[in-house]
Amino acid sequence: MNVNLTNHEKPIHAPGSIQSHGMLLVLEEPELKVLQVSNNINTYLGLQPQDLLDRPLSHLLIDPQQAIAIGQQLTGENTRNLLKLSISTDRGKHYFDAIAYRTADGAIVELEPIDSPNETSFLSFHAAIAGILSQIQSTSSLPEFLQLVAEEVRKLTGFDRVMVYQFDRTGAGCVVAETKRADLSPYLGLHYPATDLPQPARELYARCWLRFIPNISAPSVDLVTLNQQPVDLSLSILRSVDACCVEYHRNMGVAALLAIALMQEQQLWGLIACHHYTPKYLTSEVRIACKFLGQLASLELANKIRQQELSDRVKLKSLQSELIESISQASNFVEALIQPAPRLLSLTNATGAAVCLGNEISLVGATPSLEEVRSLIDWAETQVSDNLFATDSLPQIYLPSVEFKATASGLLLLRISQIRRYYILWFRPEVIQTVTWAGDPNSSFQLENGSVSLSPRRSFERWQETVKLKSLPWQSYELDSANDLKTAIVGVVLRKAEELAQINQELERSNRELAAFAYAASHDLKEPLRGIYNYSTILLEDYAALLDLDGVDCLQTIKSLSQRMETLIDALLRLSLLGKAQLHLQVTDLNELLQEAIAVLFASRPEVQMSVRIPRSLPTIECDPVLVNEVFSNLMSNALKYNDTDAWVEIGYQERSGEPTILYVRDNGIGIQTHHHETIFKLFKRLHSQDKYGGGTGAGLAIVKKIVELHGGKIWVESIPGAGATFYFSLQ
Amino acid sequence: MTTRPNEPLLVAEDSNEDFKMLQRLMRRMTVQNPIYRCKTGDEVLDFLYQAGDYQSPAQAPRPSVILLDLNLPGIDGRDVLERLKQDISFKEIPIVVFTTSANPKDIELCYQRGANGYLIKPMDSSELEKTVQAFVEYWLEANTPPSVVS
Repeated sequence: MNVNLTNHEKPIHAPGSIQSHGMLLVLEEPELKVLQVSNNINTYLGLQPQDLLDRPLSHLLIDPQQAIAIGQQLTGENTRNLLKLSISTDRGKHYFDAIAYRTADGAIVELEPIDSPNETSFLSFHAAIAGILSQIQSTSSLPEFLQLVAEEVRKLTGFDRVMVYQFDRTGAGCVVAETKRADLSPYLGLHYPATDLPQPARELYARCWLRFIPNISAPSVDLVTLNQQPVDLSLSILRSVDACCVEYHRNMGVAALLAIALMQEQQLWGLIACHHYTPKYLTSEVRIACKFLGQLASLELANKIRQQELSDRVKLKSLQSELIESISQASNFVEALIQPAPRLLSLTNATGAAVCLGNEISLVGATPSLEEVRSLIDWAETQVSDNLFATDSLPQIYLPSVEFKATASGLLLLRISQIRRYYILWFRPEVIQTVTWAGDPNSSFQLENGSVSLSPRRSFERWQETVKLKSLPWQSYELDSANDLKTAIVGVVLRKAEELAQINQELERSNRELAAFAYAASHDLKEPLRGIYNYSTILLEDYAALLDLDGVDCLQTIKSLSQRMETLIDALLRLSLLGKAQLHLQVTDLNELLQEAIAVLFASRPEVQMSVRIPRSLPTIECDPVLVNEVFSNLMSNALKYNDTDAWVEIGYQERSGEPTILYVRDNGIGIQTHHHETIFKLFKRLHSQDKYGGGTGAGLAIVKKIVELHGGKIWVESIPGAGATFYFSLQ
Repeated sequence: MTTRPNEPLLVAEDSNEDFKMLQRLMRRMTVQNPIYRCKTGDEVLDFLYQAGDYQSPAQAPRPSVILLDLNLPGIDGRDVLERLKQDISFKEIPIVVFTTSANPKDIELCYQRGANGYLIKPMDSSELEKTVQAFVEYWLEANTPPSVVS
């Protein structure tokens, strides 16, 4: 056997032959002259085709009433209703179910033998169908509805297996409902590539609703003709079976086949496919009932799909509003978006997603690697101008994505901000990975001798080629969903930005107040302070004789307290001014800067004995020399202050490639216990009582830290109590 | 009113002026109890654990009450409070906070950490006198501290 779709000798709708379980006549109107006749007329009537060809039908049909009935059908008065015919021949009286209809090639009459002209069975089916109708309408969901349809068709037909296929946009089919003999393996959920049902076959289904093949292996019967072209048998119920179809179903072990079209909006939505594993004949009445059921189901299908879509949309909307709600309340925006993960994915029915805020990318579900996503966004930045972009074949436009087709053959990209790099990306896998395909192409549908024919095996391969590097398409409502999310996010972000602006405004105001406070502290508060100091001094100078020792001591205390207050206010002012300071950066030789600091230190304390060690020449760096001078002065004077022995201080630096230079000031002082290593940098935090080590204000190190941080650097200390301390700091 | 003149009072206070004022007021109230003073938080801990400069029991007897300033140099008064109240051997010693801070957060924090009283140092000297008076009357005279371990 060698069948090839491209090598079809005859088109599928005009094969020039019929199935053997009935007879077919092609007639010329108005006298109904026989133009073609099936070659099995002998089997049923004991006549040869030549006995009929080119003769009027009345020659065959004795009863004039029957001829009139056929005529009525042809003229459309009693269209497509089943006719009960009887034909008397030498062998006796034969009963037939007949249909007659017009085609471009002539009138066609099809006859199927029956045992008796009894019509009662039809009424019982009619009653059954009426019952089914009310059940169908009461089902609530689409899957439940389809399952019911399958079960009712099986009850009507008694077939081993009844399935409902649903076709997707690409024409691939999925078994969405099934009822079957208990011992058969289930096909529910399996997918079949679009090529399993060729386009011409689909068109035929759309036109005549029903296809019945009682015995797929029965040899077909040719039509005998007087030099006429093969007639169009699109509407024929007896049309012979295409060799492909035979092969396909034989491979599946199917012997008898019934398929009923499910139509929605003039499109073939799916099929009710019935399989029997031995030949099985159905009477015309049963088939009409099935067809009727199919038509009813098709009508209801539109309803159920609308309901399903509506409930899907409602579900999606509630998902959306839930997501938006949590985004608008969350402090961490990304967390709210990606937790719980399935929510973000359900929004567009994706299997993976990436949320990109600037350089921060969060991945959810099945996605390409972080690096791959980053490169993809880089590409999108330059290549995608739309705020919403979707493709079901990313590899076609972005070649590197071939590497991660298994997670992202489909991309839905949402740009949230035009200015910033804010994106949400959703991914879908290559369609081959998505679903369970019927049959392993490598085993179940193997064809012999490497034949080049079209077969399920080949069709699967061919189909694989067509869906490679593609995902299931993004539906318009899924795109809408992404767009809605963007609108919501922008709303939330805008609100947050407003809040932030307000906070900034308040912050600015409180900063101004703080500056005013610092000014008042430095000038206005100092004035009464000076008064206290000066008048105490006058008292001491002019009236000391009138006071006893205690009194003098009290006045001394007042003087020293007011001095101390001035020191504290000065420190506070210095720090508050630093808060607003602009750095005056310039390239500075630290050696020169340090020499100045040392000179000032010794000049202000001529009594001081301290050696300054500089092991190697310091580098030249960019900094604010005035402020850095203050750093060195403060650290050196601390080294001097907190020291019980012969003090020395060492100033040096460490360099590591790629990292900022680290300067250090090391001393041989009293050291600092580990638990104070951080607190010493806090404002007004001292470690020692007032009367020890010169009674500092606790502002020096806070000022040093502020200066270092203004330069973008860090400061820390290492020390062993009793063995000195080393302050390290960087200025970049 | 009975006084227990031998029970030592420990004052944690870094300000010499404030301590002098306190001494002066107590002298006026004829407080007989020996008063010990620590100037930093670290010193308070050394005193109680008899470490550092306070190695001998004679230098650092177990106080019956501690008057604690919050803003101490070194280890902060808040931390001293927490350390002592978490140590089973010191948690029974009444600790009265004595500070300039009227911050409700400080007050709440101190009571949470087990302070037995919270006194605010007033600016006005007669108010200060009343506060110190109240402290002396309650903590040094009326109140019975847990028996001192010898």
